Amino acid sequence: MARNVAIVGIGQTNYTTLRNDVTYPELVFEAVTKALSDASMSIDEIEAVVFSLAPTSLVGVDAMERWCIDAVGAKGKPFMRVNTGGATGGSAAQAGYFHIASAFFDTVLVVGAEKQGDTPDTQLILNQIWDPRFERAVALNAINMSSFQAVRHMHKYGTTEQQMAMVSVRDHKNALNNPHAHIRQAVSLEDVLASRVVCWPLKLLDCCPRSSGACAVIMASEGRTRKLMQRPAWIKGIGATTNTYYMGDKMETEMFNDHGDWDELALAAEHAYRMAGISNPAKQIDVAEIYGPFSCLEIAAVEALGFCPKGQGGKFEEQGFFNMTGELPVNPSGGALCSNPIAVTGLVRVAEAALQVTGRAEGRQVNGAKTAVATAIGGSLQFHTAMVISANL
Amino acid sequence: MDRRVAIVGIGQTRYETGKTESLDEIAFEAASKALADAGITRDEVDNVVIAASDQLDGRPISSMTLACPAGGYLKDEVKASDDGTLAVVLACLRLLSGVFHTSLVVSWCKCSEVPTAKVTNLSFDPFFHRDLGLNHINALSFQVNSYLSRYPISEWVPAKIVVKNRANAMGNPYAHLVEEVSLEEVVQSPIVCPPLRQLHLPLECDGACALVLTTRERVRLTTQKPVWISGLGWAMDSYYLGERDLHQLSSVAKAARQAYQRAGIKKPIDEIDVAEINELSAYHEIMAYEALDFCTPGEGYKLVEEGSTELTGKIPVNPSGGALAASPLFAAGLVRIAEAALQVRGDAGERQVTGVRTALAASCYGICAQGSSVFILSQES
Amino acid sequence: MMKEKRELVSVPGKWDISFNYAAGKTVSHFLAQIRDNGRILGMKCAKCHRVMVPPRSFCERCFVPAEDWVELGDEGVVEAFTIVHDVFEGSPPPPYAIAYVKLDGADTALANFVDGLDLSDISEATQRLKIGARVKVEFASRREGRITDFKYRIIG
Repeated sequence: MARNVAIVGIGQTNYTTLRNDVTYPELVFEAVTKALSDASMSIDEIEAVVFSLAPTSLVGVDAMERWCIDAVGAKGKPFMRVNTGGATGGSAAQAGYFHIASAFFDTVLVVGAEKQGDTPDTQLILNQIWDPRFERAVALNAINMSSFQAVRHMHKYGTTEQQMAMVSVRDHKNALNNPHAHIRQAVSLEDVLASRVVCWPLKLLDCCPRSSGACAVIMASEGRTRKLMQRPAWIKGIGATTNTYYMGDKMETEMFNDHGDWDELALAAEHAYRMAGISNPAKQIDVAEIYGPFSCLEIAAVEALGFCPKGQGGKFEEQGFFNMTGELPVNPSGGALCSNPIAVTGLVRVAEAALQVTGRAEGRQVNGAKTAVATAIGGSLQFHTAMVISANL
Repeated sequence: MDRRVAIVGIGQTRYETGKTESLDEIAFEAASKALADAGITRDEVDNVVIAASDQLDGRPISSMTLACPAGGYLKDEVKASDDGTLAVVLACLRLLSGVFHTSLVVSWCKCSEVPTAKVTNLSFDPFFHRDLGLNHINALSFQVNSYLSRYPISEWVPAKIVVKNRANAMGNPYAHLVEEVSLEEVVQSPIVCPPLRQLHLPLECDGACALVLTTRERVRLTTQKPVWISGLGWAMDSYYLGERDLHQLSSVAKAARQAYQRAGIKKPIDEIDVAEINELSAYHEIMAYEALDFCTPGEGYKLVEEGSTELTGKIPVNPSGGALAASPLFAAGLVRIAEAALQVRGDAGERQVTGVRTALAASCYGICAQGSSVFILSQES
Repeated sequence: MMKEKRELVSVPGKWDISFNYAAGKTVSHFLAQIRDNGRILGMKCAKCHRVMVPPRSFCERCFVPAEDWVELGDEGVVEAFTIVHDVFEGSPPPPYAIAYVKLDGADTALANFVDGLDLSDISEATQRLKIGARVKVEFASRREGRITDFKYRIIG
């Protein structure tokens, strides 16, 4: 059996487009020092490091993680970088988990940063992710990739542009309570619907900002955790699923073959839920941090996570089910729609979920939250991760 | 590590320049061969760990197009960066956690599609080093010069390494460069950056390599003789070359110490029967002997002069021919593990060293071996 | 320490790496057929019988090689689409439409631009460009062996 693993320290910078005042390693260092201080640990107590960094073309230095060895105190220590595109933060957190669950280490630092403010057009790079022989020449990027998801969901279930806009309204409202959030401005349903069309049906306010910032999470074995703190957040379950690169392979209606649905996330969550002993997620999960950089994606995610029946995500959103005062609050942090530091967005979800279950989420705290799920998404909506985090072992 | 994880499948493509297959096709080839070698199908694999460099692959998230060709379709799949061997490290951690049972590990590189030195130049910071035109090759000469200023060895010593590895490669059907060279040819080959000459350097090429790893509980489900991972270690050094002790391979020494400790190895030269080292240059193979504690610092040349690391020596190094004969850059370290495993299994054909019970595989990656990983592979005790 | 106003410097840079992506035998044949004969071919997996386009030399689901070429129809049905109204560096000037179309005889959909639609009024455009709409493939008269050698056009 896997050893128990806890989150014992969290550090986040604020998220914003430009961080001209620091180099990339300096930005990473900010989050590391905050996490160490949060855990009351020194860097010497960190035994290994996992680095969370998605495409380095966004930050302009290839293998940027190697420049950060001293910023993360990893000289002479085991160090590895994980890169699964947008899902990187979720995958890095899971890699950190395995460092300890395997009994190789008692402490591990999982850290990374995004500095996409240094590149003028993120979507130019996110065009290069596509197969040079096919989709690259057809002007694909991450936004229209999500539009394809949206139109299929709309067609299949009758999901509306209004329902998608409501996701954005909720996230923006929540972000007002998160001091780290990049966009801290309330928007109305009308604002979202009237914002300019980017890739129909997605409008500007259905889309995430380009964020820079860093996040660090320290994990520890049960033995070490008991010596460190009273209220750790335990990692209870993990799961990940990869589907095909080819979006065109997912134009069917059956399981795993519909780009409009997130059956891959359902499979990843099923694994995580099983490990965590969760059989009725809508009842047993108190709060969710979902990586949805476009409003439509959160709708597919809540369905995949089993919070509502398939196809009903939009309707549940309409009914306020996922609001802070609803049955199952989603993204009290404001989610990826209000801060998307791509390399660490998945790790931020883990950090925020851990803050929630330990009652440390301050103004964005969901009352009495004990169990949370954090997700990440990457590639052509093909890489999915899920992690269940709980106050109770 | 009590022999809890075993390599039960090995798949390699040929390593050659200018492969006409696309990247996904070579990943598929290696993955398929490893599964076949293990006598299992993809259904029996419960997780896939791949490793690749986005920039060397020419795609910002290269696992998008490569995860499923490598076997990841509807599996729990993850990608490590920095070096192919880190996929083996991560797979071991996943298996040892008890969450997973059988991993498919795949890495690849197609140096013929990309100007590798231009890519590695972009790994230098833009403020201090990039404008100096540094890359993974010319930076090596800092390291070699630093070593030579402390331990001035004759140019015939690295030349012997080249001659040895190239001769060894003659017995390796996967190595694309199968021409022997003479000592004179090495010392007369064109200077790249002094003292490094063309023949001192790895021959960058295309190829993919895959392994199947499983736990002790599952090992009987495969048809293959298990090769146990009895120790592993991995470590990084500082980024700025100016901060490093360039005359030694510090990351290799750190990684080796971890691996030896886990494997219970006290005197490597006596306990290891064969080693596969991803040598960044002929000089680096000598430096690696020292970092791996085959000898004391500065004494690496003696092992060469005594012929200790030749096929018939006390501790043969790179019977496959090593990276000097074929280096699919990012995957070259993983190839070392595959070759070391073949040696332990007794399946190394013409390049087989007799009586191998314990083998070492070491990888160096990053600029001047900023990072390293070391693996100890053993037969059933 | 004297307190002074410090300026923040940024150093310009550009990644300019050339690549030669080997298309492989299978995709090379596909692209050559588009260029030379204006034909779109799919690849059939002998095990699951899926007809895949883009064609691949193996089926990643069954994990077996694939080598049975199938000629696809020059019409198909829209499975997903978007209309792009924003400017993206390196992409065409907006507006333009992209659709995933399942060509007759294929089990997977292939992305390409949609031509011949007035995209200025989105609600009007989405009356015609919608999931289930039928399209026809239109080849350029001068073709280079690239995916952009053809576009889709809504029928009716």
